[in-house]
Amino acid sequence: MSVHFPQKKLPYLLLLPQLVITFIFFLWPAEQAIEQAFYQEDAFGLSREFVGLDNFIDIFQDPQYYTSIGVTLIFSFSVAFLGMALALWLAVMADRVIRGKLAYQTLLIWPYAVAPALAGVLWWILFDPSMGPVALWLETVGVEWNHFLNGDQAMILVVISATWKQISYNFLFFLAGLQAVPRSLIEAAAIDGASPAKRFWDIVFPLLSPTTFFLLVVNLVYAFFDTFGVIDATTQGGPGVSTATMVYKVFNDGFIGLDLGSSAAQSVVLMGLVGIMTVVQFRYIERKVEY
Amino acid sequence: MSDLVLENIGKTYANGYHAIPSIDLNIEQGEFIVLVGPSGCGKSTLLRMVAGLETITQGDLLIKGERVNDKEPAARDIAMVFQNYALYPHMSVYDNMAYGLKNRGVNKDEIDTKVNAVAVMLGLEELLSRKPKQLSGGQRQRVAMGRAMVRDPKVFLFDEPLSNLDAKLRVQMRVEIRELQRKLGTTTLYVTHDQVEAMTLADRLVVLNKGHAEQIGTPMELYDRPASTFVAQFIGSPSMNLIPTSVKSEYLQLSVDIRLPCPQLADQKLIWGIRPEHVEICAAEEADVMLNVKAVEALGAETLVHGSLQLGDGNTPNFVVRLAGHHTPKLGERLPLRVPRSAWHLFDAETQQRVEKSCN
Repeated sequence: MSVHFPQKKLPYLLLLPQLVITFIFFLWPAEQAIEQAFYQEDAFGLSREFVGLDNFIDIFQDPQYYTSIGVTLIFSFSVAFLGMALALWLAVMADRVIRGKLAYQTLLIWPYAVAPALAGVLWWILFDPSMGPVALWLETVGVEWNHFLNGDQAMILVVISATWKQISYNFLFFLAGLQAVPRSLIEAAAIDGASPAKRFWDIVFPLLSPTTFFLLVVNLVYAFFDTFGVIDATTQGGPGVSTATMVYKVFNDGFIGLDLGSSAAQSVVLMGLVGIMTVVQFRYIERKVEY
Repeated sequence: MSDLVLENIGKTYANGYHAIPSIDLNIEQGEFIVLVGPSGCGKSTLLRMVAGLETITQGDLLIKGERVNDKEPAARDIAMVFQNYALYPHMSVYDNMAYGLKNRGVNKDEIDTKVNAVAVMLGLEELLSRKPKQLSGGQRQRVAMGRAMVRDPKVFLFDEPLSNLDAKLRVQMRVEIRELQRKLGTTTLYVTHDQVEAMTLADRLVVLNKGHAEQIGTPMELYDRPASTFVAQFIGSPSMNLIPTSVKSEYLQLSVDIRLPCPQLADQKLIWGIRPEHVEICAAEEADVMLNVKAVEALGAETLVHGSLQLGDGNTPNFVVRLAGHHTPKLGERLPLRVPRSAWHLFDAETQQRVEKSCN
């Protein structure tokens, strides 16, 4: 179906605000980043020099860049896996509750409304080695917690912060997915002699696969690109570079290190990654997962 | 010993709602019992209680003499066919049928033998590797039955299994279900709201109304001697004409006063029940009632004549007549009808229960 406007210009006029926003905040900066990626600029932005692909060659010869890729992969898959597993567990529990169902569901959705920086600070305080209640409790059970010194612990902390934020979102989708599984299938499986756990893994979980796959992509995108706030508020990428993801490194190299060319080249790599993930998302999510 | 026994079975929900006050039912080995009633009468609830999908809040449920009230569905050795078939959409037809056996630890070769035997019986050999969504409605229905049969359970439970099929397929599957059940000899409890399905399938029918059994009996018992106006209206199509009337001294007041054979019914309020097919056209002077013809439905093999009666007390209740063959009464015509005394059903107007008329 198509709609016909009496004037030819009106449709374009109506689209204009969105186009302007897209251009100013997305296309123009992207173009700037691509352009900058081919220049070497001084720290004050007063002069620049065309260097071709040097920036790209530099980052791919820099062992630190590979470290950041490793950090990103560990971080992203941990966040995606933990976030989805916990959310699924919570959704299964919430789906079983009969009394006060709405209260539980509402409370479980709340963390999503918390700003990323606040979430980061919240966990940062909880785990602060000198005054955080969780850190103190860990000390009583024999774990010496100091994420300012211990890179692995810092990673655990940012994973927890980022996961906590994302659980609500995953929970919502899993809950909807669970509610879409026909009751009679579970009942048929019960009559077929499947224990509750077996019913879940044999029947419910496979039927959730479209939801699971959708969330996997969304969570990876979130962990890759959307966790700057959490990391900056919690560990600032430290100690050292043990929690500096690729996105964090773009910020760090560009705005702290003032190496704008390298930062821009890294952005371009990330842009490419976003592109690939978007294609994956459209190719596979729109099509129903086969079962 | 009965195969499946429901003893004073009742269901009260947590909110205090009495879905089923109390039902007693003894089902013999190999019997085909149909639970029938309008929606909300508790028939599905009762079936689900037998299956173990609903808790039983009162009474005892015995399968082969063993009380199973508190047993899990799987431990009751029953199999159920659901209205929407409830096939596992991500499993092949083979896996759907094998799932229950796998869960019970049956070895692979035995599963294979059993599934293939059932597939042959149901004509599903070619479809074993397909997924449920690649099947037609009738094929899905068959797979659902196969899944129930393959385990060779003590009791089959069917929850309106034909209501998602089109009319033609429904008739075909109805016959198939009956044949299979006879062949296997498995005790069966079948829920439906369709009275034709109920009549054709059942060894015995249980007519449920608001959670209690109005009448339990063979289809013909229910047709010939309905225990209440509810059963009278539910069994038979078009349903029985029920005419409220009263008895003055010993005469039933119809178009003409008709002498009742039962003096003890004198001066009672009664409901006079006549099946549409038990009425015949006669000469005016022999008529029990006169019908004002309002509509005629000619179906070829039979003709349904709708109209109203003119009763002595001034009432003009609606009345349906089912005549064999072709008839063409004019609209507005007064049709003299005779009703053989043997076809009468009398019900108490207060209790709606059957009043025995063979009381002379």
